Amino acid sequence: MEKYLYIALFAPLVSSLFSALFTATPKKQFVGIVASLLIFAAFVSSSILLTHIIGGGEVVHVELMTWMATGDLYIPFGFVVDQVSVTMMMVVTLVSTIVHVYSIGYMDHDKGFNRFFAWLSAFVFSMMVLVMSDNFAGLFIGWEGVGLCSWGLIGFWFHKEIATWAANEAFIMNRIADLGMLIGLFLVYWNTGTLQYEGAFAAMPSLDPATLTWIGIFLFIGAMGKSAQFPLHTWLADAMEGPTPVSALIHAATMVTAGVYLVVRSNELYDLIPHVGLFIASLGAFVAMFAASMALVNRDMKRIIAYSTLSQLGYMFVAAGLGAYWVALFHLMAHAFFKALLFLGAGNVMHAMHDELDPFKMGGLKKTMKWTFIMMTLASVALAGIYPLAGFFSKDLILEVAFVEHHYIIYSVLLITAGLTAFYSFRLIALIFHGEERYKLFGIHPHEAYKFMLVAMSPLLLLAIIAGSFKISYFEMVTNVLPELEYHIHHPVTFWIMVIGTQLFVIAAIAFAYKKYANSSVKVPDGTSKMENSIAYKILKNQYYIPYAYEEYLVKPYREISDVFWKQVDLKIVDATVDGIAGIIYSTGEKTRDMQSGNLSTMLKWMVAGTVGLLSLAVVFGLAVRYFDEILAVLSGLGV
Amino acid sequence: MFDHILSILIFFPALAGVFGFMIQKESMRAYGISVAFIEFILSLWLWFAFDSNVSGMQFMEQMALIPSFGISYILGVDGISLFIIILASFFTMIGIASLTETPNEKNMIITLLFLQMTMVGVFAALDAIVFYVFWELSLVPMLYIIGAWGGPLRVYASVKFFLYTFMGSLVMLVGMLFMAYFFYQATGVWSFALLDWYRLILPESFQLWLFAAFFLGFAIKVPMFPFHTWLPYAHGQAPTIGSVILAAILLKMGTYAFIRFSLPLFPDASVFFMYPIAIIAIIMIIYTAMVAYAQKDVKQVVAYSSISHMGVIVLGTFALNVEGISGSIFLMIAHGVVSGALFLLVGVIYDRRHTKMMDQFGGLAHVMPRYATIFGVMLMASVGMPLTINFVGEFLSLLGFYEQSHILTLLAGVAIVVGAIYMLAAYKKMFFGDVTIEENKNLPDVNKRELVALIPLTIITIWLGVYPKPVLEPINNSVEAVVQLMHNKATTEEAKTRIPDLTQGIEITRTAMKEAH
Amino acid sequence: MMEIGLNHYLILSTILFAIGLVGIMRRKNLLLLFFATEILLNSVNIAFAAISHYYNDLTGQMFAFFVIAIAASEVAVGLGLLIVWFKRHGNVDLDTMSSMRG
Repeated sequence: MEKYLYIALFAPLVSSLFSALFTATPKKQFVGIVASLLIFAAFVSSSILLTHIIGGGEVVHVELMTWMATGDLYIPFGFVVDQVSVTMMMVVTLVSTIVHVYSIGYMDHDKGFNRFFAWLSAFVFSMMVLVMSDNFAGLFIGWEGVGLCSWGLIGFWFHKEIATWAANEAFIMNRIADLGMLIGLFLVYWNTGTLQYEGAFAAMPSLDPATLTWIGIFLFIGAMGKSAQFPLHTWLADAMEGPTPVSALIHAATMVTAGVYLVVRSNELYDLIPHVGLFIASLGAFVAMFAASMALVNRDMKRIIAYSTLSQLGYMFVAAGLGAYWVALFHLMAHAFFKALLFLGAGNVMHAMHDELDPFKMGGLKKTMKWTFIMMTLASVALAGIYPLAGFFSKDLILEVAFVEHHYIIYSVLLITAGLTAFYSFRLIALIFHGEERYKLFGIHPHEAYKFMLVAMSPLLLLAIIAGSFKISYFEMVTNVLPELEYHIHHPVTFWIMVIGTQLFVIAAIAFAYKKYANSSVKVPDGTSKMENSIAYKILKNQYYIPYAYEEYLVKPYREISDVFWKQVDLKIVDATVDGIAGIIYSTGEKTRDMQSGNLSTMLKWMVAGTVGLLSLAVVFGLAVRYFDEILAVLSGLGV
Repeated sequence: MFDHILSILIFFPALAGVFGFMIQKESMRAYGISVAFIEFILSLWLWFAFDSNVSGMQFMEQMALIPSFGISYILGVDGISLFIIILASFFTMIGIASLTETPNEKNMIITLLFLQMTMVGVFAALDAIVFYVFWELSLVPMLYIIGAWGGPLRVYASVKFFLYTFMGSLVMLVGMLFMAYFFYQATGVWSFALLDWYRLILPESFQLWLFAAFFLGFAIKVPMFPFHTWLPYAHGQAPTIGSVILAAILLKMGTYAFIRFSLPLFPDASVFFMYPIAIIAIIMIIYTAMVAYAQKDVKQVVAYSSISHMGVIVLGTFALNVEGISGSIFLMIAHGVVSGALFLLVGVIYDRRHTKMMDQFGGLAHVMPRYATIFGVMLMASVGMPLTINFVGEFLSLLGFYEQSHILTLLAGVAIVVGAIYMLAAYKKMFFGDVTIEENKNLPDVNKRELVALIPLTIITIWLGVYPKPVLEPINNSVEAVVQLMHNKATTEEAKTRIPDLTQGIEITRTAMKEAH
Repeated sequence: MMEIGLNHYLILSTILFAIGLVGIMRRKNLLLLFFATEILLNSVNIAFAAISHYYNDLTGQMFAFFVIAIAASEVAVGLGLLIVWFKRHGNVDLDTMSSMRG
C-alpha cells in the first residue's frame, strides 16, 4: 500500500516539475495532458487506498525522512492514510483531475498554459501534503504551500493590477491567520513535547483546560484564515480574479476546506474544549448567514458562488464545532462536488460570454448552452439541499445536528440561510439561463464549451446527484477514527415535519427566485430602481463596507505609519542622532583647532596652562586621599 | 594537512591576494576565481573531515604570540562556526565569479581575497585578541569596496560604516581587557583564550557590565535597533558584491559573537538582559519591516529586510535553549544565502537599467521570466515559506523563544506577516502589471554569468529547506554543549531555571516520543 | 647665622623656575626663549643637586649632569637652526613662525 501512498503524494509533484520545465516555452498541449494523467494516477492510487481502508485495511503510515531535529524537537516527513485523510485525498485528487482536464480546454488560448499547469499541480501536491501529513509541521508545510500556489494562481494573469492585488491580499490575510496557527503549533510542542498528531493528542487530556483552550483558539485562527471565516473573509471574494478552474479547485473544493479539515483532524482536542467548539459553531452560523446575505444582491457571477462557498464553509464549521466531525467532513465532500461543478459551469458561461461576469447582462443562455445549463441547475439544486441530491443529505444533517444538540438559535440561522442559499443560487440560474437574451445588446455570440470539458465535468455531476447515498457506508468508515455520534430526532413526527418543512421552505425560495428573475421583464440594472437605492441593498452590495473599512482603517494607516517611520523616525530621529553625535565631535574639533595656531608662544602658554591644571589636580587628589577620613566625617556631619 | 587547515583557510586567500598584484589585469578574474574555488574546496574538505558527533572544537591550532599576557594564536571550529566559514568561502567564490565589469577589477579581486581572510579569521579565532584583530581588519577591505566602487554618497557611507562599527568594537575591546584582567585576578595567569574564559564563573554584577560592553560592539555590527542606520547607507552605496558579502557574512559576525562570547561567558547577564533584548529584537522585526515597506528603492527594501531578519536571529539566540539557538544559527546561514541572492538579483537589474527605483520597473515578469522566477523563489524564501531554507531557522528561533515568553513570541511572529507585506508589495511593483517604460521592453533575461551565482543559491535554498539535517545536526550538537555550559555556569536562580539542563531528560514524554521513532 | 638648608635651595629653584616660565610665556624673541629654557633647566639642576646632597645619593647629581649635557646639545642644535632661520627671514620673532597652523 505504501507504493500507492507515494504515487498519490508525488505524482502531482512530478507533474508540477514537468510542467515547470516548459514555462518559458509557448503553449504545448501535451503538458496539459501529461499533467492530467499524472494527477489521474494520484486519483487512482487514492481510490485504491480508499478501497483498502474501507475494506478494513490497516492505516497506512510511512516516515520518509527527518525534516528538523534539534534539541527535543523531532519532526519527520511522515504521512498517514487513515479514514479522514483518505476522504480528503479522494476529494482533492478527483476534483483536481477533473479541473486539470477541464483546464486544457479552458486555458486553450492562454499563453501561460504551461505555467498554469505547473502551478495547479504544485497546488495539488501541497494539498496532498496538507491532508496526508502525520504531524502539525507537515500540515503547516502544506498549509503554506497551498497559500503560495493560491497566490500564484490568483495572480496568474499578473498583468492585471486587480488580480495581483487580490493575490497579495489573499497571501497576507492568510499569513495573519498562519501566525495564529504557528503559535498554536508552539503551544502544542511546548506542552506535549511533540508535533506528531498521535503523541500530541494522546498527551492532551492531561493538560490543563486553559492551555487546551488557547491551543484550540490559536489553531482555529489558522483555520479561519484558510477557510475565510469572518473577519478574514474578504480575500475569498477578491480571489475570484484568478482563472475559473482555480476558483473551482482551490477556492471552492479543496484549499478553503483545509480549515475544516484541521478542526476535524484535531477532534480529540476540540472534544476536550466544547466551549471553543461552541464558539466555532456560532461563528460558522454567523458566517453562513452573513455570506449568504452578501450573495443576494451581488452582480458578479463568480463572487456569488464564492459567497455561497463561504456560507457553506460556515455550515461545515457549525457541524465541526458541535462535535459532529463526520458530518462536517461529509458535507465538505459533497460540497466539493457540486461547488466545483457550479464553478466549472460558470467558467463555461464566462468563456461563452467573453469574460462577462454580470448575470444581468446574460439571460436565455439555456438555448445555446444546454449542457452547462443542466449541470449548473443540478448543482444548484444540490446546493439548495433538495432531495435526493447530495446537498440534502449533508446539509440537512447539519441542521439536525444543531437541533438535536439544542442549539436552536444556530438551527434557525442555518434554516434561514438554507432559504437564502436557494434564493441566490436560483437567482443566478434564472438570470443566466432564463428570460430575455440580454447579451445581444452587448453584441456577444455565446457558444457551448468544448465537448471534452463537458465530459470532464460529468463525474462531478454524477457525484453531486448520488453522493448522498454514500452516507451510511461513509459513516461506518470514518467513525473508526472520528467520534461515533449519530443524530436522530427521536420523535418521528418532529423529524418529518422538519424535513418536509425545510424542503418546502427551500422550494418556495427557489420559486420566488424564478418568479422574480426568470421573466422577460428583467433589465440590466442602471442604478435607478428603488431597490438599488435602499440602504440595505447598498450595505450588502458593499459587503457591509468591510473591505472599505479594511482599506481605510488598516491598509492606509499601515502605509502612512510606514512612511512616517521611515521619513520621520528613521531618518530624522535615529539617524539624525547618530549624525548629530558625529557632528558634535566634528564641530568640537573644528572649534578647538584654533589652539593649534602654530604660534610657539601661544602654544607654550597652553602648555603651561595644562601643566598647572594637571598639577593642581594632582594636589587636590593627593589632599583628598590624605584627608579622606576627615572629609568623610565632615560630609556625614553635614548629613550627606 | 588537517593540522593546519584553518590557518591555510585563513591565510591562503591573503597570500594569493599578495601574489595577485603580480598577475596581469586580463587574467586576474580567472586567477581570482581559481583561488576562491580552491578555498571553497578546502572549506568543503573541512566539512568532510569534520566529525559531527563531536560537540567541542575541532582542528585546533595553538601558538603563543605574547606569552606574558597570555595572548595566543588559537584557532578551531565547531558546528556553530563551520557553516559560516563555508558560507564565507562560497560567497567569495560566486561573488568573484559573477562580478560584473568593474573598473580596477584587479584591485577589487585582491580586496575580496583579503576580506575573505578576515572573515574566516573571525569565525575560526578562539582567542579574544586574534578575534578582535580579524574583526577590525574586516572593516578595512569593506571600507575600500564601498568607498572606491560605491554610489554617489560612497564616502559618507563608508566613513559612517567604519567609524560607527569601529566605535562599538573599541568598547568591546575594553570589555575584553577587563575580562582578561578578571581572569588574571581569579587564576593568577593572563589568558585571552576563549576556552579558558569559558571556565571562569563571574559574579553577576561583573557579568552585567561586561555583557553591556560586549553588547555594544556586537549590536552595532548586527545591526540592532537603534544602531542600524549605517546599514541602509552602506547597502545603498556599496556595489553589488559589497552588499552581498556585507549582508551574507559580515552581519553574521555580530550574532555569531553573541553565541560565542556573550552567552557562555555571561549566562546570568544573558538571562537578565533577555527581555530587553527581545524587545529590541521585536522592534527590529516590526519597525524595520514597516520602514522597508515605505522604501522606493528595491535595494533599500532588501537592506531593511536584512535588519528585520536579524531581529529574528537575535531573538532565537536569546531563547537560551537548544531549539532557539540552533534555529538562530541556521537562520544566519539561511539569511546569508537568501539575502545574498536577493542582493545579487538587485544587482542584475541594476546592471541593466542603472536604477534601483521600483517605479522605474513594472511588468518585468513579461520580459525577464527566468529572472522573475528566481526572484520569486528567493522572495518566498525570504518570507519564510516552508521547505525553503529560511523557514527552518525562523520556525526554530520562534519556537525556541516561545518557551521564554508567549506574548513576545506572538509579537515577533508578526514578522511572517509584515515580511510578506513588504516583499510582496515590492515584487508586485517590479514584476507585475504591464511594461510601461520603453527601456524595459527589451531587457535581456539573466545571462550565464549571473546564473552561475544564482542557480547554486536557489538549489541550496530548496535543498536545505527540505533536508536541513546535514547542517542542523552538527549545529545542534555544538549548541547543546553551549547550553549545558551556560546552565552549569549560571549562578542565579532565574538563570538556572531559564536555561535548560540537558543532562536529565526534561520530560518523559519527549524522550519517549523520540524513542518511538 | 642661619644655616642654609634644603628648603632654601628648593625655594631658589622654584623662583628660578617661575622666572623661566614667565620668560617662556612672555618672550617673543627666539634667542631669549633659549635663555628662559636654560633658566628652567638650571632651576631643576639646582633642585636635583640639593636633593641629592640632602639624601647623600649621587643619582640626582648624575642626573643634573645629564641635564647639562642635553641642554648643551639642545642649545647647539637650536642655535644652528636659529641662525639658518635668521639668514632666511631676517628676524627671529616667534609670531612670524606659524606655518605649523592646525
